[in-house]
Amino acid sequence: MNAITSIRQLWSGTPLVPAGSAEETASASGSIPAAELRQLNAAQPGASVSGVQPPETSFAGLLGQMVEGVNAKQGIAAQALQDLQGGQTVSLHQAMIAAEEANVSFQLMVEVRNRLLDSYQELMRLQV
Amino acid sequence: MIEALFNQPSYLGAKRMLDALAVRHEALAANVANAETPHYKRIDLAPSFRAELQSALASRDAASLSTLQPRVSVDASALPLNRDGNTVNLEHELVELGQNTLQHTVETQMVSAALAKLRLAITGKAA
Amino acid sequence: MLNIIPSLASTTAALDAESTRLEVISQNIANANTTRGPDGRPYQRQEVVFENALQQAKAANGAAPGLVAPQVASIQKDPRPGRSVYQPGHPDADANGMVQFPNVDIYEEMADMIVASRTYEANLAVLKNGRSMALQDLSIGKH
Repeated sequence: MNAITSIRQLWSGTPLVPAGSAEETASASGSIPAAELRQLNAAQPGASVSGVQPPETSFAGLLGQMVEGVNAKQGIAAQALQDLQGGQTVSLHQAMIAAEEANVSFQLMVEVRNRLLDSYQELMRLQV
Repeated sequence: MIEALFNQPSYLGAKRMLDALAVRHEALAANVANAETPHYKRIDLAPSFRAELQSALASRDAASLSTLQPRVSVDASALPLNRDGNTVNLEHELVELGQNTLQHTVETQMVSAALAKLRLAITGKAA
Repeated sequence: MLNIIPSLASTTAALDAESTRLEVISQNIANANTTRGPDGRPYQRQEVVFENALQQAKAANGAAPGLVAPQVASIQKDPRPGRSVYQPGHPDADANGMVQFPNVDIYEEMADMIVASRTYEANLAVLKNGRSMALQDLSIGKH
């Protein structure tokens, strides 16, 4: 039960949680909002907000880092393509490689999201 | 975490080589364009930069590879061919240009292969 | 403008300069025997003088600062005297029967023309290489 409770805590308040009322009433007593969860993670030693990220110890922190990383890559790619259009001195190969790296990072995030969704649904199907 | 995906030395090396080849193409193109200009001295990648690139590639150090910037300098070893001091040998430049383009093909293939491998690892599908 | 093909500026400058030179050479050859031009004097050979135009230094992404592009500074008249030939029956002969011909040496012009077209074709090869590199860049990561 501990594993299921902790995963419910993780996903409460995020859009991936299905709107069914059953698990909401069941987890109301033990749920922690996602915002407070992040605060708890931030209090742990070794966690940082920006820059080169030290290894995160919580799953939510890892996910947050990944989203930030993907966002950063997309920003770099968008900037490179914009510079290319504007005639600034960015080589074509730099812009193309930046765009491809952003694509691959985004694909990683999508796959992680799919796997998480699958495992969540698997857990929901378990007879408790 | 996302950065770690792209931190392999061979991938970084290929990217830096592409930068260096693009700069070298510009230098060789400028040489060919000025083949008839009086007192023009040919330029190429700085020998110091070449040495840095070689050592960074050999040591496979991700940190040094990611901060390398190509530099161009006047080729001190080129001999003047004309009375007016122009040091451009047209055949030599064209041969180097062809070699540069072929190397560019090799490096783009390496980069594409690395990206395809990542995609395969992430999605399990080749496309 | 998009700088997709690298080194476009210096190569096109060189192509312009060389094609101007070829035009001047062909004009010289065409007028090699013009003993009387519009000003009444024999045609004077023209030659092209190249100069460097320092390009704007590019931003520091590794591109060479101050790449040089050739430019035609001026088209000057060659001051060397032409040859005088003894042809008393020529309509432009002077009192002594000497005719002033233009100072155009056909062999010199042909040699210049060969050099100019060789340089022109070399710049075309540079352009072709740059274009194929750009096309390869566009296919990075395509499956």
